[in-house]
Amino acid sequence: MIECRALSARHGAFQLADVSFAVPTGQYGVVIGPAGSGKTTLLETIAGVVPATSGQLWLHGADATTLAPEARGLSLVYQHAFLFPHLSVAANIAYGAASAEVAEEVTRRFGADVLAGRPVRALSGGERQLVALARAFARRPGVVLLDEPFSALDPRRRTIVRREVRALHREWGVTTLQVTHDFTEAGLLGDVAVLLDGGRALQSGAPDEVFRRPASPYIAEFLGAENVLAGAVRVLEEEAPDWLEGDPAPIAHGYRAIEFTSGPLVLYTVGDFPAGDGYAVIRAEEIVLSLESPAGSARNRFRGVVTERDTLGALTRVTVDVDGVPLVASLTTRSAKELSLAVGMEVTASFKAMAVHLC
Amino acid sequence: MTSSIAVAPSPGRGLQRVIAVLAALASSLLLLFLAVPIGQLIGAGGADGIRQLASDAELRSALSLTAITATVATLLGVLGGTPLAYLLARREFRGRAVLSAVLDLPLLIPHPVAGIALLLLLGRESAVGGTMLAAGLRVVGTPLGIVAAMLFVAAPLFISGAREAFARVDPRFEAVARTLGDPPLRAFLRITLPLSRRGLVASAVVMWARAVSEFGAIVVLTYNPKVASVLSYDRFTSFGLREALPVAAVLAVLALIPLTALRTLKGADDGMTR
Repeated sequence: MIECRALSARHGAFQLADVSFAVPTGQYGVVIGPAGSGKTTLLETIAGVVPATSGQLWLHGADATTLAPEARGLSLVYQHAFLFPHLSVAANIAYGAASAEVAEEVTRRFGADVLAGRPVRALSGGERQLVALARAFARRPGVVLLDEPFSALDPRRRTIVRREVRALHREWGVTTLQVTHDFTEAGLLGDVAVLLDGGRALQSGAPDEVFRRPASPYIAEFLGAENVLAGAVRVLEEEAPDWLEGDPAPIAHGYRAIEFTSGPLVLYTVGDFPAGDGYAVIRAEEIVLSLESPAGSARNRFRGVVTERDTLGALTRVTVDVDGVPLVASLTTRSAKELSLAVGMEVTASFKAMAVHLC
Repeated sequence: MTSSIAVAPSPGRGLQRVIAVLAALASSLLLLFLAVPIGQLIGAGGADGIRQLASDAELRSALSLTAITATVATLLGVLGGTPLAYLLARREFRGRAVLSAVLDLPLLIPHPVAGIALLLLLGRESAVGGTMLAAGLRVVGTPLGIVAAMLFVAAPLFISGAREAFARVDPRFEAVARTLGDPPLRAFLRITLPLSRRGLVASAVVMWARAVSEFGAIVVLTYNPKVASVLSYDRFTSFGLREALPVAAVLAVLALIPLTALRTLKGADDGMTR
């Protein structure tokens, strides 16, 4: 288990301040944040390389705040690998290995056995990351800290290595904390996501929760939400729209019906957000485009004109202008072709009340 | 579209050529000024010096004393200087700038002044010198005085070079070693020391060469027995340039050998790090 309790540290001019989150034993945590947000400093503080100035760090159920790095029972993999250049690939992997057998096993599993005869200086960035991962896991640590460990790997190998890391993490019950810029990777790997910015943990929780329910418009935009609208929140008490049957209060698992006005748009959602100013976040993949007004349960429907269409491989991003407000929808390229979407076409953008998150 | 970035006007092609010619001329003159005297010295006295090695017992004795005392001083410098250099390269602490300045001080003061300072500390009248004398360790007028003078003037060169060598090793190598189970000393011995080895050896060679060529501080502490630099001076003042030349030439060769080796080593090092 990794548990940070108001952990603070200073590294040069950078300050990590009051970071709190927990990754339970055997789970996979991901730290997401922009460049310079303190992700590497956080890992180094957990590793004991950078001393904590205040707060507490608990590892394996014990207070490890002041323990020396070698006594923490963890391994750290830097983005740039930091293989020991005066040692061979095999000697690097064996450096802190639990046993020769474990070193051999991880070497094989990460595909580093084919590199054994090559000097470290001759390895590519991706190959170095493979060896660094093998070296870290060869120790059979209870906790592994990974700083962008797949960034130098080509897409095919990244998928294979990611799978192998995940497999070792599961088989050996290794509590893992990984820094990543890749939201897809965070969603794929993480049981717990920690969003870091300016040396502070802005939000932590299950990745799906963090992605779908960002705590602020800044977090929403950082996590790639393309529709973040400023507006006014009004809690609907007695005047619920006709799609809410009966008393608004007990509907939707006890949440209230809410009307959100952003310029000419009036959205409906459910939640427990107080009345006043706020932001509505709608992820692009929640918006459905159709040529006619669709049948179905989506409570928010707007007619608009397509102003932009960008195809990025299997996905197409379409911007629809609704009375001067741009709404961005993401749909499969196949769907976009089937609809024959083109700039200037009139379409209906619809999304469910539950797709609107207020913050 | 106009750019908002201001670009400084570049000098004309003719002016650039004049600047290039002047720079080449100044560099060439300085190079000649540095190399010609040494080359001339070795050319004029080198062969005689080598021949004299066979017949001149005083010269042989002075050279071996120089080599031995310089080696002892270098070993002491490496022993005490390595932890200091590591501390200065790796740790932030109050007074680090002051400590650095204190360590550079012997490089900045005239060497006879360094000799006088050492005499004040280690002479028989001083507390330290008196205590050492009582313990049977006489410094002034003995090889120990030569070692002390060499150590004082040359150790800062080792510390400065070693500090740079340690600073060039990214601390994250050590961090990884620590997380792989190494306590600090083992991480230092297994990782930092091998990675900075070439820089440390180069610094030790520079220190040794500087110790070999020291004169000012040694002559104050220990005129006799004579090291090669003192012997060269002695023969110059007693018998003139002709007698001093072979000794001076051999001393120059002695200093050049490790420096040439150092350049070769640095070349190999550059090849390793590319």
